Amino acid sequence: MKRTFPLFLVFIFGILGIIPFIIPHPIVQNLDESIRNDILKILVAFALVLGLGSLLKVHMDKIKRKRENWQYSWILIISFLVSSIIGLFGGVAGAGPLPTSIGSFHFDIQTLYENIFMPLGATMFALLAFYMASASYRAFRARSFEATLLLITAFIIMIGIIPLGDKISPHLPSFAQWIMTVPNVAGQRGILLGVALGIIATSLKIILGIERSWLGGGE
Amino acid sequence: MSISLSPWIWISALLSLAVFSFLYKDNPFYRFAEHLFIGVANGYAVTFYYHNILVPTLFDPLFRQGKLLYIIPFIIGILYFTRFIPKISWLVRIPIGITIGYYVGASIPATTQAFIIKQIQGTVLTSTNFQAWNAGSWGIVWSVIVFIGVLCSLSYFYFSKEHKGVLGVTSRIGIVFIMIGFGAAFGYTVMARISLLIGRLQFLLGDWLGII
Amino acid sequence: MKFIERLTTIDRRIIYLVLAIVVLIPLISRSPERVRVMPPVEKLYNAVDTIPKDKVLIIDFGYAPQDMPELEPMGFALLRHAFEKRIKVLALCLYVQPLGLAQKALTEVTEEFNSVAQTNADSIIYGRDYVFLGWQPPPLIPMLGMGISITNVYPGDYYGNKTDTLPLMKYVKNYNDVALLVSLSAGSIPRSWVAYAQNRFGVAVAAGVTAVSAADFYQYYQTGQFTGLMTGMKGAAEYEELVETRLNIKKSRKASEALPSLTYGHLVMIAFIIIGNIGYFVQRKRRQK
Repeated sequence: MKRTFPLFLVFIFGILGIIPFIIPHPIVQNLDESIRNDILKILVAFALVLGLGSLLKVHMDKIKRKRENWQYSWILIISFLVSSIIGLFGGVAGAGPLPTSIGSFHFDIQTLYENIFMPLGATMFALLAFYMASASYRAFRARSFEATLLLITAFIIMIGIIPLGDKISPHLPSFAQWIMTVPNVAGQRGILLGVALGIIATSLKIILGIERSWLGGGE
Repeated sequence: MSISLSPWIWISALLSLAVFSFLYKDNPFYRFAEHLFIGVANGYAVTFYYHNILVPTLFDPLFRQGKLLYIIPFIIGILYFTRFIPKISWLVRIPIGITIGYYVGASIPATTQAFIIKQIQGTVLTSTNFQAWNAGSWGIVWSVIVFIGVLCSLSYFYFSKEHKGVLGVTSRIGIVFIMIGFGAAFGYTVMARISLLIGRLQFLLGDWLGII
Repeated sequence: MKFIERLTTIDRRIIYLVLAIVVLIPLISRSPERVRVMPPVEKLYNAVDTIPKDKVLIIDFGYAPQDMPELEPMGFALLRHAFEKRIKVLALCLYVQPLGLAQKALTEVTEEFNSVAQTNADSIIYGRDYVFLGWQPPPLIPMLGMGISITNVYPGDYYGNKTDTLPLMKYVKNYNDVALLVSLSAGSIPRSWVAYAQNRFGVAVAAGVTAVSAADFYQYYQTGQFTGLMTGMKGAAEYEELVETRLNIKKSRKASEALPSLTYGHLVMIAFIIIGNIGYFVQRKRRQK
């Protein structure tokens, strides 16, 4: 029961997922819509809570056990609570019961997003430019024919896609574009076909109950 | 333009600098910024999770429109939390099974059609494909290159036979195409990463310092 | 020889500094650089431009702050194009992080138009000219569900309004009323739009993607599964170029203004790779001797 019933459900819902692609009859389509809108949408809503709960649990635990850098977990929890309260009670467009401005100073959820979340997220990824420069300088070596080919292609693309490439020769951007649409497509498609076949095989294994790792441990 | 007097712009700028400080070495400013980021990100997610999902998807139909059948998915959803109760933790497999089942089921025809059939259609040597390049008779050449490239790239990933003889040649050609693909990807990645840095500098120089 | 050895051991902080300087200096001049528009972007522009009056454009704002510099200019340029041509827009997000950026783009571009509008007809009005559907996870739900009924998938919009009360949604029922769907994304989502929405309901899909994933996406453009394609900051600059030259909209062009910095950034990257390789080959030769 503990394993068979979930495996049975996967099989049934797997088939229910496939059929609407094959049978366009309104009865099938309406049933399909109902599965998505009335069941899956709600299940996902619960799954999201689970994810959030796990994150908070990890940090509460860190504080409780006073693990390394535990003080910072307070920052996470406090900022989470404050922004949640502002968002939940201040409303999406500042239309909730909680006031989200004092005079001309606004602190609604969109303001927090634009001035805290946005700069932090953007800057964290901006660091990658530096790491990539350093890593390419250290590791990108023309050791073999394949590596040299990769390097030359990269150089052509790097020059071809900037306006300087057009100034050097109007053929250069066209050549870069050709690389993207002809040899690049051929190489990428070889990989894609392999990946797609892998997805189908794995999906079939899950539906048929051959692949069961999603059940997790235990009975 | 001159330096910004908005407190929020200053907060944004100082937080950006706190993250940039990691380039020198790990430090408390960076760690503060990192944890603040996760906290606010999740607070933001909770906000829209409630306003955009829970209210219109669950609360309104259940409590305002009286669609009592919604109690069934509601109960199945609650089973996610049995994960924390060891005795009945297996029940979590029910919502997971339903979700995974539908997902993988739908992915089979979608993947077959969009990533296999359509991609093969785009590879075979037909007059439609030749003309699609808008390159005159060169279109035939480009199509032939793509055709050979795809076959050879595929042969490179065929590991059931030793790469010798014909397979040795085709897999060798295949790796040429794959390396060109990786090179192209690397070239574009450089653009991507530098773009992100430019975006931040545009903010610091423009919105904050008012230089640009 | 010592000089060459030094070339191979440049401190990472010097590399950081050089990169920062070459990217920073050209930004100060703030002059947008002209670009040659390539066919994938032009096709996208033409597809948007020819959307009939009774159909809508869906924009999937799929970019989070970490993808903002590349994809936000695309979002702005697309909205300017659509609003200028009075093409109705449905905006949506498949994940939570991009919501705020979608809201920002919609608010700012609407404001650009409304600040010069003389009459109600000239203005861009929420509910009549565009609707922000908000966030509905997981992505598969809206992708498939909008083929049957958009308001069933999104009973409420981003602001909490009932979608079936909005004037625009009175005649936009499902994908049959959608001329084009543009997915601005840093991940594999444009591919999923093709696999689910296009495959099952035949909706035309185009994409604006980050440069990191650009190489993966050209194959869908080649097969015609993507009507058009914008890749990275350069792709955004090309769309900005078209919006300015063909529609005569002269607004801030963040991607085009960044191109001089991008040029120097690329050159410095190439230089560092070449320097690293010179050092490598000299050392290898010495070892062989």
